[in-house]
Amino acid sequence: MSELIPITALGAALPRLASFGALEIRENVGLALASLALRRGTIGPRPFGLTLPGPGRWIAGQGVAALWTGPDQWMIEYEGRADLGFAAELKQFAAGCSVTEQTDGWVAFEIVLRAGSRPLEALLSKLINIDLADFGPGRARRTGIEHMSCFVIRRSEAHVAVLGARSSAASLWHALETAAKRLERK
Amino acid sequence: MTRLTGGLIDRSQTLNFSFDGKRYQGHPGDTLASALLANGVRLMGRSFKYHRPRGVLSAGSEEPNALVELRTGARQEPNTRAAVVELFEGLEARSQNRWPSLGFDALAINDLLSPFLTAGFYYKTFMWPKGFWEKLYEPAIRRAAGLGRLSMQADPDTYDKGFLHCDFLVIGGGAAGLAAALTAARGGARVILADEDFRLGGRLLSETGTLDGGQATDWVSALEAEFESLPNIRVMRRTTVFGVYDHGIYGAVESVSDHLPEASGRVRQTLWRITAKRAVLAAGATERPIAFADNDRPGIMLAGAMRTYANRWAACPSETVAVFTNNDDGHRTARDLAAKDVQIAAVIDARPEAKARGDYRLIAGGMVTGSRGRLGLKSIEVQANGRSEWIECGALGVSGGWNPNVHLFSHHRGRPIWNESLQAFLPGEDGPPGLIPAGAAAANFSTADALRSGAQAAKRAMDELGIAASSPDLPRAEEADYKVAPVFNVPGKKRAWVDFQNDVTVKDIKLAHAENMRPVEHLKRYTTLGMATDQGKTANVTGLAVMAELTGRTIPETGTTIFRPPYIPVTLSVLGGGDIGRHYRPRRLTPTNHWAEGQGAVFVEVGQWMRAQYFPRAGETHWRQSVDREAGAVRSAVGLCDVTTLGKIDVQGADAGEFLNRLYCNIMATLKVGRVRYGLMLREDGFAYDDGTCARLAEDHYVVTTTTANAGLVYRNMEFARQCLWSDLDVQLISTTDAWAQIAVAGPKSRALLARIVDGFDLSNEAFPFMACAELTVCDGLRARLFRISFSGELAYEVAVPARFGHALIERLMELGADLGATPYGTEALGVLRIEKGHAAGPELSGQTTAAMVGLGSMVSQKKDSVGAVMSRRGGLAGDRRRLVGLRPVDPAGKVVSGSHLFAEGAPRKCDTDQGWVTSACYSPHVRSMIGLGFLEKGDERLGEVIVAANPLEGESARLLVVPACFVDPEGERLRE
Repeated sequence: MSELIPITALGAALPRLASFGALEIRENVGLALASLALRRGTIGPRPFGLTLPGPGRWIAGQGVAALWTGPDQWMIEYEGRADLGFAAELKQFAAGCSVTEQTDGWVAFEIVLRAGSRPLEALLSKLINIDLADFGPGRARRTGIEHMSCFVIRRSEAHVAVLGARSSAASLWHALETAAKRLERK
Repeated sequence: MTRLTGGLIDRSQTLNFSFDGKRYQGHPGDTLASALLANGVRLMGRSFKYHRPRGVLSAGSEEPNALVELRTGARQEPNTRAAVVELFEGLEARSQNRWPSLGFDALAINDLLSPFLTAGFYYKTFMWPKGFWEKLYEPAIRRAAGLGRLSMQADPDTYDKGFLHCDFLVIGGGAAGLAAALTAARGGARVILADEDFRLGGRLLSETGTLDGGQATDWVSALEAEFESLPNIRVMRRTTVFGVYDHGIYGAVESVSDHLPEASGRVRQTLWRITAKRAVLAAGATERPIAFADNDRPGIMLAGAMRTYANRWAACPSETVAVFTNNDDGHRTARDLAAKDVQIAAVIDARPEAKARGDYRLIAGGMVTGSRGRLGLKSIEVQANGRSEWIECGALGVSGGWNPNVHLFSHHRGRPIWNESLQAFLPGEDGPPGLIPAGAAAANFSTADALRSGAQAAKRAMDELGIAASSPDLPRAEEADYKVAPVFNVPGKKRAWVDFQNDVTVKDIKLAHAENMRPVEHLKRYTTLGMATDQGKTANVTGLAVMAELTGRTIPETGTTIFRPPYIPVTLSVLGGGDIGRHYRPRRLTPTNHWAEGQGAVFVEVGQWMRAQYFPRAGETHWRQSVDREAGAVRSAVGLCDVTTLGKIDVQGADAGEFLNRLYCNIMATLKVGRVRYGLMLREDGFAYDDGTCARLAEDHYVVTTTTANAGLVYRNMEFARQCLWSDLDVQLISTTDAWAQIAVAGPKSRALLARIVDGFDLSNEAFPFMACAELTVCDGLRARLFRISFSGELAYEVAVPARFGHALIERLMELGADLGATPYGTEALGVLRIEKGHAAGPELSGQTTAAMVGLGSMVSQKKDSVGAVMSRRGGLAGDRRRLVGLRPVDPAGKVVSGSHLFAEGAPRKCDTDQGWVTSACYSPHVRSMIGLGFLEKGDERLGEVIVAANPLEGESARLLVVPACFVDPEGERLRE
C-alpha cells in the first residue's frame, strides 16, 4: 500500500454522512467502479457471475453489481474495493472487453430511507425528471441533477444511489442536501 | 357594508390586515378583495393610464383592476391581484400607481387629458428628437403610467422546482375537474388534480345550487376525503397550470408559503414540470363585462363575481345593487343577493323578451348608458323604451356572457372556434395532443353538464390509456340552459372601457380601425388591448366584437390573437427555480483544490472549473510579482501545476488507431506504444478546433487529452463519430477526466524531483525520452501514469495518480522538492510560459483559424483522410496567408495588448488595410518586456519588420517588432535534455 493518504471527493479524510429526518445521505468512498464495453464479436461476458442487465436496469450480486450505461456498455460496481486497482481485477473476468478504471471519476452518494417510502419519492421528485412509478428496485438511469450528469440507481425500495462526477461532488452534495432539508421542513 | 349571512369563512377566527396603512379585520377563508369589500372598501386601485379610481372587477385570477403591492421591504411585490390573495394574519397591502394617495391622485389629470392620450399617442408625439426616447420620454412615461414598483432589493425568498409524472392531469378543481379526477382515480390511474384556488370546488363554491339536494360543499368535502384515502391521486391546491408544452408536459406553479404570515424556512413557490399521458382542461369560464359609458367605477363588477363575493365570502360592495345583463346568469345574481337581504334596485336586461326570476324590478330591453360617483358608484343611467332614468345603487353587477377558458387549449397555436349561439370562442380541434377540454371550458355551463363532461373526458382518457374506469354516480344538479344575446357594448359618445387594466376604450378601438390597425395582432399592439398582467382575460373577446362590428366582418373572421404561456403572471424567480449566487451552476474542483486553498491561492473560473490562478506569497503586493516568480521557478528550478482539467478520453479497441487517424489531422496509428504525440483536430469545415496529446499505452489502448474548454465537445464529437460515422470500427470510449489527478512537473529540476517518488523507474533520457509515456507506480505502490510532455518549453513531465491521491501527491512533491525550489504555479504563469514558448492555446485556436495559420499546416496529413482535411484545402482557407508570429515592443517599456489589430507602419487604420491581430500577450520575465503572439498577413516572411498594433478602444497604439513565435529555447534543447 502506498504511503499517500487519500481524501474524499468532498475534500475530507472521512466520508460525509448526514441525516434529514428519516433520510440518510452517505458518501460511499469504498465503492470501486470500472466501465466495461464489449469489443466487436465478444458475446455475453459474466463478470463475477453477473448477468449484465438491459437498458435502464441495475443488477446486484454479492457485493458486486452492474448497471447498463449504453449499448454494449456497463458500469461495474464493487463494494469496498475502491483501494485496489479494480479495473485490473475486472479485466480477468472480461476477456474481449474494454475495461477502464472509473473509481476516482465518480462520487457515490447512498440515500437510504429508514422508515416509510414517501419521503424518498418526494426527494427524487425534486431532483430528477424520472417517472418514479417506473423506477422501482433494479432500475438505473443516467439523468441530470441541477445540470450535473449523474447515474441514479434504485438499489432497493428504500435505497437510491446517486453517482456524479467527482469534481462536482460538492455541488451535487449541496443539491441533495438542499432538497432533503426542504423535505424535512414540510 | 358589513358581512352578509353565510359564506365559507371561519368567523370563529379573526385576521388583522392593513390596506394603505389602515387596519382592517377579516376571517380565514377570505381573500384580500373579499375582506376589503366586507369592510366597505370599494376603491382598491388606480388605472394604468388615466389614473381612474378602480375597484375589484372579478373574483379570480382574471382580475384587471385590484392590483396591489403586497408585503414590505425586500419582499414587497407589485401587481398582486387582490382577488386571489389569500388573507393571512398581518398582511400588509398598498394601492399602487397613485400619488399622493388613492383617494386623491394628482395624476388623475391624465383623465382630463384623455382626448390627447389616445391609442398611439406616444408613438405619434414623442418622435423627435430620436435620442430623447430612451433617455427622457420613455422613463417619464413609465413613471406616470404604470403599475406597481419593484423594491429594487434582492429577492430574499427561496424557490424550488420539481418533476411529476402521471397518467392523468386534471387542470381545475371545479365540478368538471372533480368529476374527472374521481372517475380516473377510482379507475386506478395515477392522477394529479391541480387547482389555483386554496379551496377545491371552483364555481360550486360561488353558487347556491344543490347537489343531490344537499350543499355542494358537502359533496366536495366527501370527495376530498376519498381522494385523501386513495394513494393514486395527488391533490395540489394553490397550484396553477400556466402552460402546455411539447409531449404532454405542463408547467405549474405551486404557492407553498405565499399565504402564510411567516415562510419559516419554507420555499415560497415551487415550479412543477408535470408530464401527463392525458390531461383534462377543466379551467372553467370567465365572465365578460359589457362596455358602456363610464363602466369602470368602483362598485361596478362582474355579476358572477358579485354572486361569488356574496355566497362564498358573505361580502357585498353595497346594500343596494343593480344588475345589467344580456343573459339569464345576471338574474341569478339578483336572486341570490336578494336572498341575503341586499336590496335590488333593478335588473336591466338587454333582451326585450327577458322575464324576472324573482321579486325585483326588471327593465327588459334596457341598457345602462352612464354612471356617476367619483370614488365609487352612486347611480346608473338606464335607457329603455325611449326613456332615460337615473337609478341609485352602490354596486352594479354586469354580465355580458361567459368566455370558456380556452387559453391552455390554444397554447400550441390551437385556434378556438366561434360558437354563434353561445357567443363565445370554444376549444377547437387542433389543441395540444392528449388534452381534453371539459366543463365550462368546453361550454358545458350547467353544473350537471359540467359534472357529466368531466366524467366523460376522464373516461375517454382512460379508454385511450387502456385503464378500465367507469363513470361514477354523479350527483343530481341544476341543468339550466344558457342563453345569451349578442350585446358587447352600448353605443354612445362617452368613453366605455373594454380593457380595464390598459385603459382601452371602445373609442381607442375605433381609432385603431380608422388608422388601419385592423388585424387583431395590430389592434392589440396599437391599443395595448389584452396586454399586461391579466392578458385581457375579461377584455379580448369584447375587443374583437367591437372591431368586428366596425369592419362589418364576423367575430370569427376577425380572429383571435395567439395564446401563449404563462396563463397567469409567473415570477421570474420561480422560473429560475433554484439556486442563485455561488450555487447557481455546478462547480468543478480539482483534486488539489483544498491544498491550493490552504496555500492561499487566488482562483479563476474556467468554465465550471475553479483553477488556481496564482499563489501569492507574503510580501507580494501585485499579482504580477507572484506570476513572475512562479514562471521564473519553472525556468530555473521546478514548478508544479494541477492540469487535471484537461480532458482525458480513454480510447480502446482493435481499431482505436484507425479511429484516431480519422479524427486527428495528423497520423496517430503509427504512434509507438509508450510514446505520446501532439495532435490537432479540425472541424468539419476545415478550421482547427482543438489540440492536445495522444498517448499510446498499448496496441489497442490510447489516452487522448483535450483542452479544458473543449473536453466535453471533443468527447461528444468522438462519440458521434463512433456511433454514427464509423460504427463499423471496433472502438470504445469513456471519459476519465475526473478519475486522474494530473500534475505538471516542469523545469530543469523536474527529473530530480520525480526520481524521488517513482518506484524503481528509470527516468534517464535514454530510458524515458521526450514524448515518452508509461504506466508505473509512485510513492510505494500507488498506480500512476507518467507523460514526458512540456507546455512550458522546459524539461517537463505530467504525472497522474487516482484523483483521491492528488492532494497527497502534491503535498509530497512540495515536501520532497523543497531543496530543489519546488514551486506551485497557477494558470497565469502557465499562460506566460506557453506564450514564451509560442504554443497555441484557446486565443489562437479560436475557431476562426487554420492549422496553417498556427504554423501547423504540414501536420494535416496528405496520406490519409481525416475530419476537415479536405475542407482545409479549399481556396478560402488554404489561401489565408496570415501566420502566427511573435511580437515584441520596439520600446522595451512598451505594451502589447491582446485584441489589438496590426497595420503596416504608416498605413491607414481601416478594415481593408487590417493585417491581423494580437491573440495573446503577457509580461515575459524571461524576455524582460511584454511579448505577444498574433496572426499577421504573411507573417512568416516579415520577421524583423516593425508594425503597428492599434488599440482604438483605448486610443492607444504601439510599434512592435515581428519575431519568431518562440521566445525560449527555439531549438527545443531543454525539452530533450
